[in-house]
Amino acid sequence: MKSEILYPGAFPMVRVELAAGEHIKAESGAMVASSPTVDIESKMEGGFLGALSRKLLTGEKFFFQTLRASRGPGEVLLAPTVPGEIVIMELDGVNEYLVQKDGFLAGAESVSIESKMQSLSRGLMGGEGFFILRISGKGTLILNSFGAIHKIELKPDQEYIVDNSHLVAWSATTSYNIEKAASGWVASFTSGEGFVCRFRGPGVVYIQSRNPGSFGNWIRQFIPVSE
Amino acid sequence: MTEFHPNALCFGHEFPASGAPCLVHVEDHGLTIAFAHDTAESRSEAVSFSDLTVSAGGQDHDQLVLKWTGPQGERTLYLKNPDVIRTFRQAAPDHLTAPLERAAERVRQVRHRRRMVWSAVGGIVLAFVLGLWFGADLLVELAVARIPVEWEQKLGESAYKDFLAQQDIVKEGIARSAVEEITHRLTAQIPNNPYKFEVTVVKSDVVNAFALPGGYIVVFTGLMKKADSGEEVAGVMGHELNHVLQRHGLERIVKQLGLVAVVSIVLGDQQGLVGLAKQLGVELLTLKFGREQETEADLTGLQLLYRAKIDPSGMISFFQRLSEKDEGRMEWLSTHPMSQGRADRLKAELAAMPKLSPAPFTFEWAKVRESLGASLLTGK
Repeated sequence: MKSEILYPGAFPMVRVELAAGEHIKAESGAMVASSPTVDIESKMEGGFLGALSRKLLTGEKFFFQTLRASRGPGEVLLAPTVPGEIVIMELDGVNEYLVQKDGFLAGAESVSIESKMQSLSRGLMGGEGFFILRISGKGTLILNSFGAIHKIELKPDQEYIVDNSHLVAWSATTSYNIEKAASGWVASFTSGEGFVCRFRGPGVVYIQSRNPGSFGNWIRQFIPVSE
Repeated sequence: MTEFHPNALCFGHEFPASGAPCLVHVEDHGLTIAFAHDTAESRSEAVSFSDLTVSAGGQDHDQLVLKWTGPQGERTLYLKNPDVIRTFRQAAPDHLTAPLERAAERVRQVRHRRRMVWSAVGGIVLAFVLGLWFGADLLVELAVARIPVEWEQKLGESAYKDFLAQQDIVKEGIARSAVEEITHRLTAQIPNNPYKFEVTVVKSDVVNAFALPGGYIVVFTGLMKKADSGEEVAGVMGHELNHVLQRHGLERIVKQLGLVAVVSIVLGDQQGLVGLAKQLGVELLTLKFGREQETEADLTGLQLLYRAKIDPSGMISFFQRLSEKDEGRMEWLSTHPMSQGRADRLKAELAAMPKLSPAPFTFEWAKVRESLGASLLTGK
């Protein structure tokens, strides 16, 4: 499997080349185009209940689609729903990433995806909800962000503070605490930040340069109200 | 050469920030750490137990973190493979036992605290749901009491108009005046009536009649044809009028909306809340009343008939007859399930009332039915 990002920037696409018999899991609806040798199967990763819990709890699409080059080698073009960058990572079997629910675009079949419940405080205030995806295994993992994606590298015990709605993915070797953005409660919210995450290395944290929630609020004022 | 199967991540100044995958072997004196041989030379490092410090780390504090300073500088090793951790704990000398125990204790504490918090949350949610389940009727009553009649009328009116737009309405004739007379006889007996009742006769073979919040009542000709007397129709209408007066429709809506709203909020589905408002019109027409509401409407309907000097035995016999016959489209029964208990209850109630000298209607019911049959024949 070989993958390549086309049109890097705000409106990228990924081209994935599949050898005969190879397959890739993608977020449902992510396929843009494919060779005629590629079949689309929808698959409920983790069984029906797993898929149902992912749908209800993480808001992730109910089905993943499996794109399989069943009749010979072929290629697939994949794109996320939102404008923003795509990043391709190679998982080595020991690295494990926690991914915010909208961050997953596609992954090799050998990559495992499970819903993971966060602690109460992280779930309530972390901005990603109670459930996030834990992605492990070996192979290619393709993530997408809203806006540009930025990688923060943390040395052991190095700390960094991230606004919670800008999180995309972070390695399982990091840990984080939720904190108020400013020292007082009122100042925290009037500063427009609310809660932030204090990450502690080692590991990497991928963040997105735009906040989907804020963008939604901004765009709402332009949507005509019927009646 | 065999494939490289790393079981740990090593961090150090020359490694990538996401850590270098490595293969850890636990030996008698300490650890050997082999790195992937992407370069020609295969590299490995060794560290003795005496140089290590141990702690718990990672997202859930469930990884074993080993730190030491070697010839290559500071090293941090993250172990999460349970087999490696077990082997390490067995081989570790005494001076590491206490820190290892502390790390394990930390993991247990985090897990325990998380379990406690989630069981507490689960308990609160359960208590909340149970409270809602049992306290719902009280809450609904409180909420309904705060809704002004004007709102109720607007709500009912829009559903009423939507419904009638697709129906064949009986605008004049003896059937219509008969229904008007029944309505007038009944509504005149309602003290402090806040509703302006509006009754429409709809041409349809469906045996049904229903009331919308705000006082909008629809009677189908199918029901009138099934009735043997004006008193029987009056019985059904008395029952329907009381659904409005007791605000049963509103209670059902508030209950249904409340449930969906709570579920939507819990599942974080705002789309559901928006869709709710649109659903409202549809809900109104498919409302089913609860058993208690039916009984209430029965009893208050009976009393209303009594006050209006309409013979209530017509109501009881009609209800019974409707439930016995399982023919045609008895829609009224699907929304108003009849039971022997309900009829018995009404009979007992009626027997307890002082003897009534009923005042007859001015119309002749046989003629009303005839007009319906004739008009339906010409209409088709």
